[in-house]
Amino acid sequence: MAAEPLRAVRRKLPTYLVVAPFAIVLAFPFYWMLVTMFKEDLDLYNAQNVPYVFNPLQWKFWESATTKHIEFLFEDTQYTNWLVNTAIVGVVVVAITLVFALPAGYALARLSGSWGQTAGIGIFLVYLIPPTLLFLPLSPVVARLGLQNSLLSLILVYPSFTIPFATWLLMGFFKTIPQELEDAALVDGCSRIQALLRIVFPVSLPGILTVVIFAFSLCVNEFIYAFTFISSSENRTISSGVPNELIRGDVFFWQSLMAATLIPSIVLALLYNSFLDRFIKGFTGGAFR
Amino acid sequence: MSETSSELDAQGTELSRGDVLKRAGAAAFAVSMFGALPDKALGFYGPLRYQHKQLAGELKILQWAHFVPSYDQWLDNTYVKQWGEKNDVEVKIDHINNALLFSTASSEVAAQSGHDLYQFISPPSSFQKQVLPLNDIVQEVTKKVGPMSRVGLRSTYNPRTKAFFGFPDNYAPDPVQYRRSILAEADVNLRTWEDVRKGAPKLKQAGHPVGLGMSNEIDSNMMLISLLYCHGGFLQDEDNKIVLNTGSSRKGAIEALELMRDIYRNGMSDEIFAWTAASNNQAFLAGRLSMTLNAISIARSAESSGNTGLSDDTWLASIPRGPVTRLGNEHVMGVYVIWRFAKNKEAAKKFLVDQQLGYREHFTRSLYYNFPAWTGAIKGGFKAIREMTKQDTHKPRGKYTILTTIAEKYTTNVGHPGNSNAVIDEIFNRYLIPQMFAQVAQGKTTPADAVRDLDREAKTIFRKWRNAGLV
Repeated sequence: MAAEPLRAVRRKLPTYLVVAPFAIVLAFPFYWMLVTMFKEDLDLYNAQNVPYVFNPLQWKFWESATTKHIEFLFEDTQYTNWLVNTAIVGVVVVAITLVFALPAGYALARLSGSWGQTAGIGIFLVYLIPPTLLFLPLSPVVARLGLQNSLLSLILVYPSFTIPFATWLLMGFFKTIPQELEDAALVDGCSRIQALLRIVFPVSLPGILTVVIFAFSLCVNEFIYAFTFISSSENRTISSGVPNELIRGDVFFWQSLMAATLIPSIVLALLYNSFLDRFIKGFTGGAFR
Repeated sequence: MSETSSELDAQGTELSRGDVLKRAGAAAFAVSMFGALPDKALGFYGPLRYQHKQLAGELKILQWAHFVPSYDQWLDNTYVKQWGEKNDVEVKIDHINNALLFSTASSEVAAQSGHDLYQFISPPSSFQKQVLPLNDIVQEVTKKVGPMSRVGLRSTYNPRTKAFFGFPDNYAPDPVQYRRSILAEADVNLRTWEDVRKGAPKLKQAGHPVGLGMSNEIDSNMMLISLLYCHGGFLQDEDNKIVLNTGSSRKGAIEALELMRDIYRNGMSDEIFAWTAASNNQAFLAGRLSMTLNAISIARSAESSGNTGLSDDTWLASIPRGPVTRLGNEHVMGVYVIWRFAKNKEAAKKFLVDQQLGYREHFTRSLYYNFPAWTGAIKGGFKAIREMTKQDTHKPRGKYTILTTIAEKYTTNVGHPGNSNAVIDEIFNRYLIPQMFAQVAQGKTTPADAVRDLDREAKTIFRKWRNAGLV
């Protein structure tokens, strides 16, 4: 009886041996951030210290650590606002993106005939125009609409890059769904909209989740628009608030920077992880027909 | 180092008999009413020129996130609030990372909307057509506290248009910061650039190289242009004509390039080509560097880190003397502009005047980083400033007094001996000087060719701005 688990371990051992180094390498930045955010300045800036642990080295490592930089982050900056603003912008932009990209992706996959592929590529190319080129011409648009220093400016502008990308991604995914499924629904009396809502979209859930996660990540990471269209600290999102307020002149507030970036990273990592299987399925869905 | 008569006229330094009487009257009134409140009576200096109702509304200000967070906190939560209450103005002040000042300004200009007051940390000459000339408030402040510092004047005045395109608020001297014990042990001094050249190999061998950047960032830019001055290499002459590849300027520039090449080869490593503005701070604070040039953010960070061993060993000095002179750029030139599209121009002007006239507290709150553009804005001028810096309790005692000497004698504007004009602004912001030095240090070109190439490029830039009517 005891031999069975041992055999299982032996069977999986090579896999773990291969995966472990990758896991360590990938997890290391997070560990580094975690340790650094609790370090005293004296510990951090002393080049003689071992950078991976708290110094002086002791078993009660927390005695060499401090929470003052995290307190600074939460008490002396608008960090909580930045988190909330990022979440608001992310959720609304994802919703807008889905509203436009789902029908567009479906139409290009099913209804457009031979020029669908070309149009899809064209839409994707729009996504490739960098914000560094677009922020100047978009500035007067945002100003004329009275949206300067408002989260609405980001909610207006972000779909300009999330929708093309999501459309292109969904188009590929919809192509993997057999046409016969829809035909069967139509024969059974569904309208095209009903077939979409009851058959196509539920089957496409992995692809939709992929779009949700990607669009949300794009919103969290975007910097140029977030920086130029929002000027007051309380209205900023994480991507612009953190580098703006925690890098002052040529002084970096390293520990607070680490804390400020680690916290949303963990949330995003958990989000990714909870949908990992569907996410992979969705992302590779368009690649295989 | 003297101002031209047109610059003096523009400042309005000439006092009429009437002006003297008015000032005396105002001073007598102020002394009788507020004699016990020096520098505390925010927003009230002399007779009110503006009526509250004229100023009513909102004033939006954008400026850099100061490296001393407590300065910004005081500014935002105390100074600005009090000023707003006194002037019936709701003031909103935003702070951004200094590296993004130009891109954000471009965005506001494109939108023709944004903040009323916008502070740059280098003279924003290329935005001249988008801003209000500020001769009136420059004259107002000058009449009250005396002439503006030369560095402020040459950074914001355009002799071609005879306008102050910006209001110089403050500047930061750029001292050498060095580890005294390391230099003493290696028997190196920093009196001249030749001393630095000779000492660099010893310091590198001791494990503490010299830290002079040659990268696309502000510290390298400021330091290398200063190095050119010290050797007599100037981009332009007093009339703002490009002269880099001419006569003594060419000779000086070539010598500076050769010196920097030697320092790099014998006393530094490749990392200086990839430095950011924070790199010399970080390397110094990590205990690696023996010396660098920077504003006092390094010394102040060492103090706040609690590393007394490092902070007590961090000393300040003037820029080393070159074969021609001892002269350095300001490190930061705080220049406010009022956009033409600003909605509350009058409040913006009054804010600037009041802030300058009460600069004493800004100077102390910024931990001696912000020197007033009008030295007389701190009563007693440099003498008083020196006394204030003496009060700093960090070791070695009195180390910040050298800032006064640097500010008074060895600080000039970018573009010296001419003005910080649009040509200089473009050369500065495209980092053409650090690139020239890096090319030579890496052996990709000779000093003579590098000087010739930059001179050619600078002349092309000059023609562009000449055609635009700004130089």
